[in-house]
Amino acid sequence: MAVPKRKMSRASTRMRRAQWKATPPTLVKSIENGKTVYSLPHHAKVVEDSAGTPLYMEYKGRKVADV
Amino acid sequence: MAAPTKGPRLGGGPAHERLMLANLAAALFTHKSIKTTETKAKRLRPVAERLVTLAKKGDLHARRRALATIHDKTVIHELFTEIAPLVELRQGGYTRITKLGYRKGDNAPMVQIELVLEPVNAQPKAKADTKQPKAAPVEEAPAEDVTEEAPVEETPVEETEVTAEAPAEDAAADEAPADEAPAAAAEAPTEDAAK
Repeated sequence: MAVPKRKMSRASTRMRRAQWKATPPTLVKSIENGKTVYSLPHHAKVVEDSAGTPLYMEYKGRKVADV
Repeated sequence: MAAPTKGPRLGGGPAHERLMLANLAAALFTHKSIKTTETKAKRLRPVAERLVTLAKKGDLHARRRALATIHDKTVIHELFTEIAPLVELRQGGYTRITKLGYRKGDNAPMVQIELVLEPVNAQPKAKADTKQPKAAPVEEAPAEDVTEEAPVEETPVEETEVTAEAPAEDAAADEAPADEAPAAAAEAPTEDAAK
């Protein structure tokens, strides 16, 4: 079985790990009832009642799924 | 025709994938709408739509071909007798996939795949939409005739305002060569006063 000949240096490890970067999600900004909402594009949204209880998921005015 | 799928089979192998897709299709025809992962839904779509096409054909041979995929006769019966008449006028596109978000646990993108069972009325609606803008100007034209009287009444008022403004502007214009900036400043108050 092939094995590493040398211990990997701390610098190499850190250089490799420095390339792990998080990318921000692409969001759509919209204003609903005076509130600015950021949401995923082309995704169903959760519809809530006035108390904030989630009711169902909606996409383009159509009820799609239960929460 | 369904395009060949790229990438590895779902599940453990070709047979596993066939079984999974058949079971997903059976669940879809039973419940009309199921929640699954995006990958499975996208693989399921051609399978399910092909079965619906067979169901629309509706003869014994088509039924046996559908039974070769889904072995449950009750599901096939429902597909041929209940679902097929609802999509009789639809020319393909029997399923709809809506993205729901990511599953807690493995962050898999989840979708809701559903049968499109609404009556086909998109084409007449689109025509109606195109007609409405055409019809709207025709409706607006008489409306304008009615409202023209009001603008006629308004225009003399505006004209009087304009005439009232005109001397002031002329006076301002006369002053303008002397010093432009104060004249412009003087114009604004006179216009406001006229209105």
